[in-house]
Amino acid sequence: MDSNNESNSDLQKRMTVDDLNIEILPVFYEIIKSVERDHHDNTAKTRESQDCSQKVLELQKRFDQARSQISLLPGIDYSKEQQLQHLEALKTQLHLKQELLYKYRFMYPFQMQK
Amino acid sequence: MGDVSYVKIDLTSNLFCKCTVVIINTKITEMSSQISTKEKLLYILDDMELIAKELIENAIAPKHLKLSGPEYAQLTELLVAKDEELKQTLKLAQKQADIEEKMDVLRLEVERRDKDINQLQTKLKEAEQILSTAIYQANQKLQSIHRANKRPVSSEELIKFAHRISASNAVCAPLTWQQGDPRRPYPTDIEMRLGFLGRLSDPINGHLLQQPNNISDLHRLGGPATGDIPASQQNQFAWLPSGEIHMSVGGQGSVPVETRNHKQETEDVEVMSTDSSSSSSSDSQ
Repeated sequence: MDSNNESNSDLQKRMTVDDLNIEILPVFYEIIKSVERDHHDNTAKTRESQDCSQKVLELQKRFDQARSQISLLPGIDYSKEQQLQHLEALKTQLHLKQELLYKYRFMYPFQMQK
Repeated sequence: MGDVSYVKIDLTSNLFCKCTVVIINTKITEMSSQISTKEKLLYILDDMELIAKELIENAIAPKHLKLSGPEYAQLTELLVAKDEELKQTLKLAQKQADIEEKMDVLRLEVERRDKDINQLQTKLKEAEQILSTAIYQANQKLQSIHRANKRPVSSEELIKFAHRISASNAVCAPLTWQQGDPRRPYPTDIEMRLGFLGRLSDPINGHLLQQPNNISDLHRLGGPATGDIPASQQNQFAWLPSGEIHMSVGGQGSVPVETRNHKQETEDVEVMSTDSSSSSSSDSQ
């Protein structure tokens, strides 16, 4: 389980937009091309239709793969506006905490009492 | 989202409605900024899948069921537009991943600050406790100082008192002790009578009702009489050969003070003297 989780988190860390394999149009184009190709030979027709169904399956697979890969992309659980709001909130939080620390550090100037 | 799935099931056979779904989806994704980028990407993929499916079905459909040219072209354009939208959204996702990295860094910083703050708070709490204890103790000391200031005791009296304590509670006789010295390592009868218990058993004086409030008062009362013991060896007390002690009272002559077992006391004296000699001899050894 742990190793699974680790590998999953590693994948999440490593998965970027560049790693995605979401090229739908070329596969779709191939399918349409093979459907519209007119064959006189029966065996060629059968082969073409098998080939075509294979490509349709491949297209389906590509869609599923794209979906699973998209769910692994980091930082897209919110819209950009929301994410920016969160970023601002975090910055404010950090600032406040920094101020609090500063306040704590210089709250009692013992050295002034000398 | 619910709308989308509903329309998808309902309209699989009707292209017009499918197009409507796609348009609805597009409107949803464009209009609502509340939808996360991930959902947006998945919507676009759904749309693309739907359009692709429709186009493929159209390609293998019988001629009379096929779409007209403009419709087909429109669908194809829509697919291309969707693909373009997908790529744009992926760019957005890339930007968001960058923002996420920044947020991770910030989160780490915030966590570190949290730890620091916690640590400081614990230390401040500790300091507060220590200070409050110190203040409490200081207040107690101040109170006792005030008490002492209200009723000052002279140092001479204190030293006398200390002498008395060391004289009457010592284990062995002082080095200067000689026969006839009334000092004893225990309270003598005179001291006992002057003391609290002696007065308790003395009903004539009426001290049963008017008891001194505390022991220090008692000592104070007994102080002047007993404190002068070393000086009054010749004046107030006189060691008689008979073994009785006489105490002079205000120039009215001496009052014999009964010592119950004066014989035994002389024995004690001897024992004490041997004690001192033995201790000195042991010291010399």
